Amino acid sequence: MCGIVGCVGRPDETLDVLMHGLSKLEYRGYDSAGVALANSAVEIEKHEGELANLERAVESDAPAGPVGIGHTRWSTHGPPSDRNSHPHADCEGEVAVIHNGIIENFQEVKDELTAAGHEFTSDTDTEVVPHLIESALADGASNEEAFRAAIERIEGSYAIAAVFAGGDSVFCTRQDSPLVLGIDDDATYLASDVPAFREFTDRVVYLEDGEFARIDADGWNVSTADGESVEKTIHTVNWDAEETGKSGYDHFMLKEIHEQPRALRQCLRGRVDELGGQVELEELAGVRPSSVQFVACGTSYHAALYGAELFREAGIPAQAFLASEYVTSPPPIGDALVVGVTQSGETADTLSALREARQRGARTLALTNVVGSTVARECDHTLYIRAGPEIGVAASKTFASQLAALNLFAFAATDDHDREAIGALRDLPSTVQEVIDDSTAESVAEAYHDADAYFFIGRGLNYPVALEGALKLKEITYRHAEGFAAGELKHGPLALVTDNSPVIAITTGDGELARKTVNNVKEVEARDAPVIAVTDGQSDIERYADHVLTIPETQPRTAAVLANVQLQLLAYHTADQLGRSIDKPRNLAKSVTVE
Amino acid sequence: MSVRTAVVLAAGEGNRLRPLTYNRPKPMLPAANRPILGYVFDALIDAGIERITVVIGYKRDRVQEHFGPTYRDTPLDYVVQDKQLGSGHALLAARSSVDEPFLLVNGDRVFDSGLVADVVAEFDAYPDAPAALGVLEHRDVRRYGAVALHEGRIDEIVEKPESDDFRLINAGVYAFRTGIFDAIEATERRDGELQLPDTLARLIDEGEDVRGVRVDGLSPHATYPWDLLTVTQEILARGRVDEPAREQGVWVDDTSLVHESATLQAPVVVGPDCEVGPGAVVGPDVALGRNVTVEANATVTRSVLDGDTRVGPGSTVLDCVAGQDVTLGPGTLVPGGQTDVRIGTHVHEDRSLGAVVADRADADGGVTLEPGTLVGPGARLHVGVRARGEIPAGAEVLD
Repeated sequence: MCGIVGCVGRPDETLDVLMHGLSKLEYRGYDSAGVALANSAVEIEKHEGELANLERAVESDAPAGPVGIGHTRWSTHGPPSDRNSHPHADCEGEVAVIHNGIIENFQEVKDELTAAGHEFTSDTDTEVVPHLIESALADGASNEEAFRAAIERIEGSYAIAAVFAGGDSVFCTRQDSPLVLGIDDDATYLASDVPAFREFTDRVVYLEDGEFARIDADGWNVSTADGESVEKTIHTVNWDAEETGKSGYDHFMLKEIHEQPRALRQCLRGRVDELGGQVELEELAGVRPSSVQFVACGTSYHAALYGAELFREAGIPAQAFLASEYVTSPPPIGDALVVGVTQSGETADTLSALREARQRGARTLALTNVVGSTVARECDHTLYIRAGPEIGVAASKTFASQLAALNLFAFAATDDHDREAIGALRDLPSTVQEVIDDSTAESVAEAYHDADAYFFIGRGLNYPVALEGALKLKEITYRHAEGFAAGELKHGPLALVTDNSPVIAITTGDGELARKTVNNVKEVEARDAPVIAVTDGQSDIERYADHVLTIPETQPRTAAVLANVQLQLLAYHTADQLGRSIDKPRNLAKSVTVE
Repeated sequence: MSVRTAVVLAAGEGNRLRPLTYNRPKPMLPAANRPILGYVFDALIDAGIERITVVIGYKRDRVQEHFGPTYRDTPLDYVVQDKQLGSGHALLAARSSVDEPFLLVNGDRVFDSGLVADVVAEFDAYPDAPAALGVLEHRDVRRYGAVALHEGRIDEIVEKPESDDFRLINAGVYAFRTGIFDAIEATERRDGELQLPDTLARLIDEGEDVRGVRVDGLSPHATYPWDLLTVTQEILARGRVDEPAREQGVWVDDTSLVHESATLQAPVVVGPDCEVGPGAVVGPDVALGRNVTVEANATVTRSVLDGDTRVGPGSTVLDCVAGQDVTLGPGTLVPGGQTDVRIGTHVHEDRSLGAVVADRADADGGVTLEPGTLVGPGARLHVGVRARGEIPAGAEVLD
């Protein structure tokens, strides 16, 4: 995923504003960055590597101009390099373009342009856009007409912005990629995400697919592809720009792990009446599905597996699907409610799966963290998890909030009035705090940061936790880690277990699931694998474990959230021991807006 | 105001407030239903401070997590003091983030913004003075840092003086120029610690003009757990509460649910996400932190119940300080009243204290806490236990 920014109306500070915006978007991609400022010419400065490289370059040779755009890139076409970095220009260097997304028909367009004499300097799909604009300009089109003509030629997903030599406007548009405008009294901003300009304004306008915006010193204007003006609502965002600061923590991920009690409080606020024994969700009033299909990717898929289990426990058929698979081989939907779980609300695979479901007549529900995101606008219902912005690429607090929100959803949609379970949910912020305060994960990480592989096992609600624990560890430590349903271990994976592959077993309660997991632990113990037990101390797993990560006793559904916190800390401290780039793991981006 | 920067010391544990400080530093303890440190930041920002450096150490995560990178749009810069070796040592930790004259205050005591302005005004009036500090009259100077003030100039500064010659004490609110850092470094350590009063004494000896200004607007110091009750009473009496008022002296957050048959007696504050059940009576002089539950027919009077604490149905709780996530089961009895309380080796006579119950302690049900009981963090009192004295951390009390 890439990040784009733009600024008009602060002529003396354009570069500073762009650099600030890019630094706030660095989490979206970071293998290269660049800016273009338009004055009588277009000045482009771009560099491979982290944003710091670009910062050094502009220190000595600062481009200036009243309008500008900037980009941080995460490669989909062409390896990271200076020449593949954005912005891209036309042959004469009169137009500069930045792009987030994929242009599917770029090869065909490129061949055509090459045949017409255009010279390409990069391997990117984006570069066709400035050349398309150039040829339209050559045919006598105005800047705006040329921009629209170029967009008309391309297919795919994109948020695109362009500036012109001698022009005082930025033009932008979107299709399946996020793009927001920031509105201030004297200045207007554009970006893939609000944090880029949140320091300057809290008023935002969300562009819809196919809408074009023109921004100049006099203000902004949004229109359709046909050029008809569109009346847009200005939203006010209520979170703090600095919420995205690290506030003294070594890493955003650690900060976000520690923020979970607060995030959970926000998620539960005003939705839980424990003494009255009910959960009320105004936004889902009347939603009583007879069956549920969850679609999601990555961490959100693990949350979806958990959510499906909650509904099944309440007697409602429910399944979780990987969104990318759901699109290619959709199951029969029947009268199921299709629920998309996506932190960013922009995950391309999940959006496609929901569109597929909608096309087949299904009602859809979005479970997301981002207000105004594409998924929230496209689904019939939206339940916000209210976790606040998450910067670390590896999801932590948003997973916990997803699980809490899924509990709320399940309580409300199944008319479950179990006071004890609702009470446990209400206690979740404080029990998570207790896990954070008392965790010994750091010392366990110290003992095992050099292992060959890590295997996570769990049953029932703890199975998705095992998967998520493994995903977290592989994302930020680059070590091999896998999660298994505990019962599956003996059907194959046991062959991988050695004395240098710790097995992390999640066991809560003292029921049948726990007893069976303890038996699985005995199997690996017999093969000399170190055992790390994550437990509430109710079963006798401690007898077979080399290390114990303890969580407070609670209800099974909340125990899963607590166990996950221990696994987050284990992954974090292991990665820290290994000196990894925890907030920006290699090859990964925060949300994946391409399929 | 000429001074724009403040340094707040928030690294200390506060030994004498144990067992409440098991999981957090003293500045994070509740005054009414917010951390003391929040009131300190408020006073600084109200006085015109634009930038705050917070020195953190003991259980620093709790401060960072609670306040984050900004407070009321004022940037907070965190610096870490790994070992707590005195106030001078703490201030040195902030050296790299301060490059202009600044205020220094302790993060564990509530004060008014006017006090800050008074100290700064004196400081501005004497540009050659390296420091100005607030002083106040006190009847018992022997427990504090005493000063002798002569025409606005401090002649002498003595920690815990043995003589009766002094009647002013150091209020712990200072304005400094950046030269103070060198002066601290040049100060000799005493018992391994670097204390600011030693540096000031040295400056005075060298003939420097250290200014003193009489101030008021300082809340009572929270030295011992029962002081939190007094501080809370004062804050409620003065209405320094964020929650909206339902009626005179009754503040309830909009996100809380109070049953229509429950009674809130002023002054009382109910924080966010709380639930108060049918027939419960809460107040006067009660502060409920966030997500506190008071179940049906429970009575809570003159108490501070911090976040996530739960009072079971039919309980009676008087003069009680409860930490976070405490569970007082059904029918818990904390009758309150005056008693002698032992803290360490010292016995404090005739304190009004029902009980202090530290974070995550659980009383199963039908438990009685005799006046002055201190329950350690994570302790568990089984059904029907009658507890007195000090219950250690993590203890399990069966009968």
